[in-house]
Amino acid sequence: MTSEQPACHKCELSLISHLFCFNCKKLQPFDDQIGLFEVMGIPIDYEINSEQLEEYYQRLSLELHPDFFEVAPKEEKRLSEKASVILNTAYNTLREPSSRAGYLLCLFTNDHKQNERSLPEGFLQEMFFLQESLDELLESSDSITLEKMKEELGTRHKEIEFSYAPLFKKFKEFPGNFNILQQLQTHLNAERYLRRLLERIPSADHILT
Amino acid sequence: MAYSEKVIDHYKDPKNVGSLDKKDANVGTGLVGAPECGDVMKLQIQVNPETNEIVDAKFKTFGCGSAIASSSLATEWVKGKSIDQAMSIQNTQIVEELSLPPVKIHCSVLAEDAIKAAIVDYKSRRED
Repeated sequence: MTSEQPACHKCELSLISHLFCFNCKKLQPFDDQIGLFEVMGIPIDYEINSEQLEEYYQRLSLELHPDFFEVAPKEEKRLSEKASVILNTAYNTLREPSSRAGYLLCLFTNDHKQNERSLPEGFLQEMFFLQESLDELLESSDSITLEKMKEELGTRHKEIEFSYAPLFKKFKEFPGNFNILQQLQTHLNAERYLRRLLERIPSADHILT
Repeated sequence: MAYSEKVIDHYKDPKNVGSLDKKDANVGTGLVGAPECGDVMKLQIQVNPETNEIVDAKFKTFGCGSAIASSSLATEWVKGKSIDQAMSIQNTQIVEELSLPPVKIHCSVLAEDAIKAAIVDYKSRRED
């Protein structure tokens, strides 16, 4: 799936980011529905070129800096502010595996009804149990067990993140197979619970004994 | 984020935190979660089998203040109610009572789901 290549409304050269023309340095008109991949100027795909994302973000941040629009007409100034906001949203969403996967899932499922609450069997019970265990460990300041728990959960979290790419690849081969998207949804749901747990575990030097 | 007085009260001094014996035939356990934020909520009810009245309720919630307050309120509300009455508790009532802002409405939905899950669990175990 590739994004269409629109042209700059001024110099008519192909645009990379739909927000801004690098050639003539003109801010492009855009609406609230603009896609985040289009904002960054990268192909719509789970696999991204991180360096390219980074590079475009840096360049666009610079070009859209408020200082450059200080004396611009009111409408253009307002548009540049909106552009900065959507640029940051796009960058933050796409640079992180789970938010990028979640965003793509939204694009692909569109109107299709999915079970949004789906989780692996017994997962919720396990999360509850782990949260309770965490309470006890924090209470007793058991830094060794806490560190071990953090490591194990960290590994699980990474495993979930690694599961996205093959699923998206499979979906490319079998588009319309919503079973694959349902699996992705399940993984993303699980990820969020794990992330909440991990956020509660302090780093070793923060565990007071 | 401004929390209402009631939410703060429930958060600082939550009512009915704890557990009931899930193996007890008169206990129903509901475990629900909100994937949007990773909140996990467990709500348990103790039912008088003769009158079908909920005589005790306990909860344990891992989540934000609004989630804790919603489940705390839920346990307060179900106590003394019949199962059918408890089943008809709406999340909108919780939203109103706690003055929950739009971003926290899902916490009240979770609490409503927890009540229903506990009742369903109780009923299914009665059938065994």
